[in-house]
Amino acid sequence: MATTALTPTSETYRRSWVIEWLTTVDHKKIGILYIVNSFAFFFAAGILALLVRSELAVPGLQFLDERTYNQAFTMHGTIMIFLFVVPVLSGFANYIVPLQIGAPDMAFPRINALSFWFLPLGGLLIFSGYLFGGAAAEGWTLYTPLSGGKFSTGVGTDLWLIGLLLVGTASILGSINFIATIFKMRAPGMTLFRMPILVWTVLVTATLILLATPVLAAGMIALFIDRNYGGSFFDPNTGGNPILWQHLFWFFGHPEVYIVILPAMGVVSEILPVFTRRPLFGYRAFVHATIAIGLLSFSVWAHHMFTTGQVFMPFFSFMTALIAVPTGVKMFNWLATLWRGSIILATPMLFALGFLSMFLIGGISGVMLSAPPIDFHLQDTYFVVAHLHYVFFGGSVFGVFAATYYWFPKMTGRRLNEPLGKVHFWMHFIGFNLAFFPQHILGIQGMPRRVADYSPDAGWTLLNLMSTAGAVLIAASVLPFLVNVVATFINGERVGDDPWEGNTLEWATSSPPPAHNFDKLPPIRSERPVFDLRHRHDAERVSVAKVEDQ
Amino acid sequence: MSRPMARPRTRSFLRAGALLALVLLATACGMVPPEPHTTEAKEVFWLYNVILVMGGIVFVAVEGFIVYSVLRYRRRDDRLPTQIHGNNLVELIWTAIPTVIVLILFVLSTLTLNSVSQASTHPGVTIEVEGKQWSWVFHYLDDDGDPSNDVIVQGTALDGAVMAVPVGEPVKLILISNDVIHSFYVPAFLVKRDVVPLPEAKKPNELEFTVTEKGTYSGQCAEFCGDLHARMTFSVQAMARPDFDAWTAAIRAGETPAPSVPAGGGVLKVSAKNTAFDTKALEAAAGQPFKIEFTNDDSFDHNVGIWNGSEELFRGEIFSGPATKTYDVSGLPAGDYTFVCDVHPAMTGTLTVK
Repeated sequence: MATTALTPTSETYRRSWVIEWLTTVDHKKIGILYIVNSFAFFFAAGILALLVRSELAVPGLQFLDERTYNQAFTMHGTIMIFLFVVPVLSGFANYIVPLQIGAPDMAFPRINALSFWFLPLGGLLIFSGYLFGGAAAEGWTLYTPLSGGKFSTGVGTDLWLIGLLLVGTASILGSINFIATIFKMRAPGMTLFRMPILVWTVLVTATLILLATPVLAAGMIALFIDRNYGGSFFDPNTGGNPILWQHLFWFFGHPEVYIVILPAMGVVSEILPVFTRRPLFGYRAFVHATIAIGLLSFSVWAHHMFTTGQVFMPFFSFMTALIAVPTGVKMFNWLATLWRGSIILATPMLFALGFLSMFLIGGISGVMLSAPPIDFHLQDTYFVVAHLHYVFFGGSVFGVFAATYYWFPKMTGRRLNEPLGKVHFWMHFIGFNLAFFPQHILGIQGMPRRVADYSPDAGWTLLNLMSTAGAVLIAASVLPFLVNVVATFINGERVGDDPWEGNTLEWATSSPPPAHNFDKLPPIRSERPVFDLRHRHDAERVSVAKVEDQ
Repeated sequence: MSRPMARPRTRSFLRAGALLALVLLATACGMVPPEPHTTEAKEVFWLYNVILVMGGIVFVAVEGFIVYSVLRYRRRDDRLPTQIHGNNLVELIWTAIPTVIVLILFVLSTLTLNSVSQASTHPGVTIEVEGKQWSWVFHYLDDDGDPSNDVIVQGTALDGAVMAVPVGEPVKLILISNDVIHSFYVPAFLVKRDVVPLPEAKKPNELEFTVTEKGTYSGQCAEFCGDLHARMTFSVQAMARPDFDAWTAAIRAGETPAPSVPAGGGVLKVSAKNTAFDTKALEAAAGQPFKIEFTNDDSFDHNVGIWNGSEELFRGEIFSGPATKTYDVSGLPAGDYTFVCDVHPAMTGTLTVK
């Protein structure tokens, strides 16, 4: 009897998997919860997008009345940005960042769980407007005075504010957690300039969230007071100024754009080196460019407000155009990484290349909009809708899918089916361009955004029809993706711990990793410790050859 | 081995390339803005096209590089490619390239901005433009200090207001709002300016332009302003000075085409509740003007429109309830029509005229 004592898995310690997932503080499980939750909101907001596109396919009101249409595009934008793109990237960061820096978990595991659980709650509150007389219908930017108590009487707008405050609080908590983790939890040898690029982008992103989100939170609280307790922050009739809301919103809103694009850039910068078998060209330059983008992002917010006539345009125009410089440096570094590489077109790489080519278009249209005289024509038209989708969807969402295909084997030990993945990519890529490229032309021809209907005489019908067809194709592309995820999860190919021949530490442990992440770590002597480990004999051979040369 | 294989491949590449070039060309044509019709718009048009060409060059160069690299450097064996970690000189060069492009762009756009924002001392006509949910009011300001004889054009959500302006003279707009933010946008002028309800201490936004060609230019609100934002349209009619003077004189003399319909055919009563009409059938006498007393018991928008097939013969004002409004309908020829809520096309009934 004396020999039975030393087994750690005693009967009393076992919990049902439901309780386990609901109460987990493991960053990997929380990361997966983030990702699954975000995709659920992605599909919901995607259905809203289909409603919007169906209504716009031809002139006239066919499916929705104006109010319902306005609710649909408001909810689509809000949910996609605040409950899909931001949290899904946080989810991947949650899963991957501790692994990439050789840490056993995030710095504050319980706060990590808290900041996740605020998300479904906040999201459902935002959606619950539909149950109480109608969701918010003022656009995701919620401009005052339209969103004030006088013009938006429904409780949907209040629910929007409360829900988004929760989501914002979650972001702030999460960002503090990331910053603490990255600064304090790195494994021995993991100096700042050996951190993987994804970790750098998450660090800068977390800093942006920490500095920008409280400003939006303050604005939302002020608006809530205006609506419910007779405040006069934004009401011009009582001495307030509606433009103040735009300043507060965009002081958050523009860093927000980089909050969603920087981690996606990080993902792409992880994937390109692996699938070209080359180090990321200009690692240090890339880090500096990331920091520069972060800093500049706080000085450009009023480029959303050129047509208000209430801002000093040359300054904001100049700073906006200036962001093209660090972004251009990044693009050149990515291109140089491809150059003379050994490229293999697996699905994660396809999505990463998709990111490069689509984000480029969003970048170019962004520079065009930075010129105030051009912005006077294009602001609030479909050109802006196209531009923001090329950044958010063509950029971030391509990055999200790249990350999904790349790290799925890490999370499950199984690789998503490659042929199905390629079908998904091409449907997605073609659908995306069909849906959003024509919107540039619509905007240039003068079609305003956020309209439920347009005149049949305006000449916008064909392009709108194309755009709707593209949206349907994007929706259809979800099918091979979902089939792939479910089928692989149940019965996919088991591919071992490191199927892609990765560079960074997450590939130095088992797939999926144990609860404590690492049994042992390889020596960390560069930003690619696992690559160094794999090729240590090559290095020895090279040094032997060098010795022989002498 | 590889040569006979290579030829059809090259040809299909060429064909794909030609197709791609065609698509790009068609796209590039679509990317050019509408023909500009003000002196300011002509400058913006020029600036836009310069920047578009610069953007186009960057686009073709980068996408071309990506496609070339993917085709040329596909993995063919298991050898590790040369491990190049970076090069400071190269980094410096490709920091300089976008910096130069951005500086050129900034200088050009600021010069254009200064030029198009110049205010003239003596505009040919000054119009106070009021945007409101969901129509436009154009108030022509004159210097006689008597507002009772001023020319005021009031539009509706169904019938956009018309702004007449003289060709070749600077037109100054003073943009005011007393409800929410709107935006005055005429695509052919390549300009919009927000119509902002500001606190009293602040000067309202102004916009100036000089129309160069006679014609009618459609415009609409570009800043989302609530339920019927999409219907907040207007048009600008540019005409020669004598025609413009005749136009304002006609409005001063009260010759506005005011729709007044003498009611002789009685009053039809309809009400809407829970997104449904209370009746499915209405009757009216042929050729006789009649009234529709429409009660909206819902807290959102409805109206009554009369349709003959796909053509709308009459459209009643859309309003949200609970409220009642009376529509004047001019006489209709005998026949069967449908009456529909234009907001909710599923709400229908039959109007029999005999």
